Amino acid sequence: MDAIEVAGLVKRYGKLEALGGVDLRVPEGAVFGLVGPNGAGKTTLIKALVGSLRPTEGGVSVLGLDPLRDRAGLRRRIGYMPQSPALYEDLSARDNVTFFGAAHHIPDLRKRVAEVLEFTDLADRAKDSIHTFSGGMRRRVSLACALVHRPRMLFLDEPTAAVDPQLRSRFWAKFRELAGDGVTLFISTHLMDEAVLCDRISILRQGRVIASDSPRGILERGKTRLVIGRDGGEKESFIGGHPEDLAAALRPYGLSRGVTAVDVEADSLESVVLSIIGEEDR
Amino acid sequence: MRHTLAIANRVVKQLLRNPRFLVLSVAAPLVIVYLLKIFFDTMPMGFDVARYAVPVAAFLVHFLAFILCAISLVQERTAGTMERMFINGFRRVEIISGYVLGFLGLATFQAVAALAEAIWLFDLDYDGETLATLFVVVWLLAIASVMLGIFVSTFARRESQVFPFIPLIILPSVFLSGLLVDVDELPKWADWLGHAFPLFWANDVIQAVIESGWEFGDVWSSFSVLAGYAVALLLLASLTLREAE
Repeated sequence: MDAIEVAGLVKRYGKLEALGGVDLRVPEGAVFGLVGPNGAGKTTLIKALVGSLRPTEGGVSVLGLDPLRDRAGLRRRIGYMPQSPALYEDLSARDNVTFFGAAHHIPDLRKRVAEVLEFTDLADRAKDSIHTFSGGMRRRVSLACALVHRPRMLFLDEPTAAVDPQLRSRFWAKFRELAGDGVTLFISTHLMDEAVLCDRISILRQGRVIASDSPRGILERGKTRLVIGRDGGEKESFIGGHPEDLAAALRPYGLSRGVTAVDVEADSLESVVLSIIGEEDR
Repeated sequence: MRHTLAIANRVVKQLLRNPRFLVLSVAAPLVIVYLLKIFFDTMPMGFDVARYAVPVAAFLVHFLAFILCAISLVQERTAGTMERMFINGFRRVEIISGYVLGFLGLATFQAVAALAEAIWLFDLDYDGETLATLFVVVWLLAIASVMLGIFVSTFARRESQVFPFIPLIILPSVFLSGLLVDVDELPKWADWLGHAFPLFWANDVIQAVIESGWEFGDVWSSFSVLAGYAVALLLLASLTLREAE
């Protein structure tokens, strides 16, 4: 079953079209990445999915529910971590998580708050005010607020933007842990080294999905530069991104003693995505 | 109700942990009432201080309750916590009621403190019933001001967008609600326009009860309008506060 189904989603602000007919499916239990440059419409799409934005046209279903008509039912099942931390600066980490947890029926809220603060490595700073926290710590509190009610689906809007690589890697370890527990993750990002960690990605450009596949599938759309060093000379060729393409390109050489070096340089996900966007622009 | 109490509790916690906010909301009216005393001390003998002292204290409570509540709510919008509240399942009516409840304590304190200081500094001699009525009307005005702040906040996306409402709502009410001059002396249209401001109805009650020999029958209608004003603003605010853009 698909956790998210989006069909022909359009959002216009006057003459400005933020989303121009988005079609999207996200399987349940997947770590899904919504990839696109700034201003592509990633946040607008997430807001439509969590019910804080009224679409101009089109249909949205999240966990089988309409985000606007089945608000109460959906909000128990989803967690949302916005792009900005969206926290109360004067309150402590614990107070923030407790407040957002109070919106839900959580039998032992105090215990659950302690658990999520532990999960996000904030237990030792639980009593401190948010205004004393670094950007990365604020994001961890924001994640704790999104997780406190054990949602089945988590929407994370650029969760690791402006976060150092070490913390980003810790964040991804947490995301994988959540996915292992059966939580569906919908992550927007413009960072390709992050997109490659997703099970499936969609590329959003100017409010339209222009490609959807696994990161591996997207990579295979790229080109591979192959340089064969043979008998003192070098021969450069460009082949497709499939493993079969490489095998076919090497087959004529039979890897004789004369083949002294094989250099394979595959396109990065970033360059493949940029070329897909470039093709759309043409 | 559980959600409303959670929001009220959070609003109170925020107020208590923000010293600048507390100083502005509590100390400012006390300082201004004292400055008013210094100013009125320069007036010639026979100047009717009572005519102005309590209404000006009421105005201070009105202005501060309005502006502090409006800015707090706009901050929720700019910080993204308003959207987060909605997505977590808090409803419009719960957010508004939580804010009213949270600010009620502050408004009550402001009403008691400003009124007590004005009565003490200006040596006003009122009986218990008059004092109680003055307190209730200033308190009711503070509640209406909180509602007005919530309502106005729905039209502002940033804190700076709250400030144009000061010359639009607060300053005209100073001139048209009988605070400085009797409304009877104003042109007819200005008199009618004055009726649109909550301060008009509060001042109407205050002017009546500081005269000796007043009866509740003289002021109940203005009391009712002030209470109605608060309820109407509450309904308007709950209609204009949008859960989804």
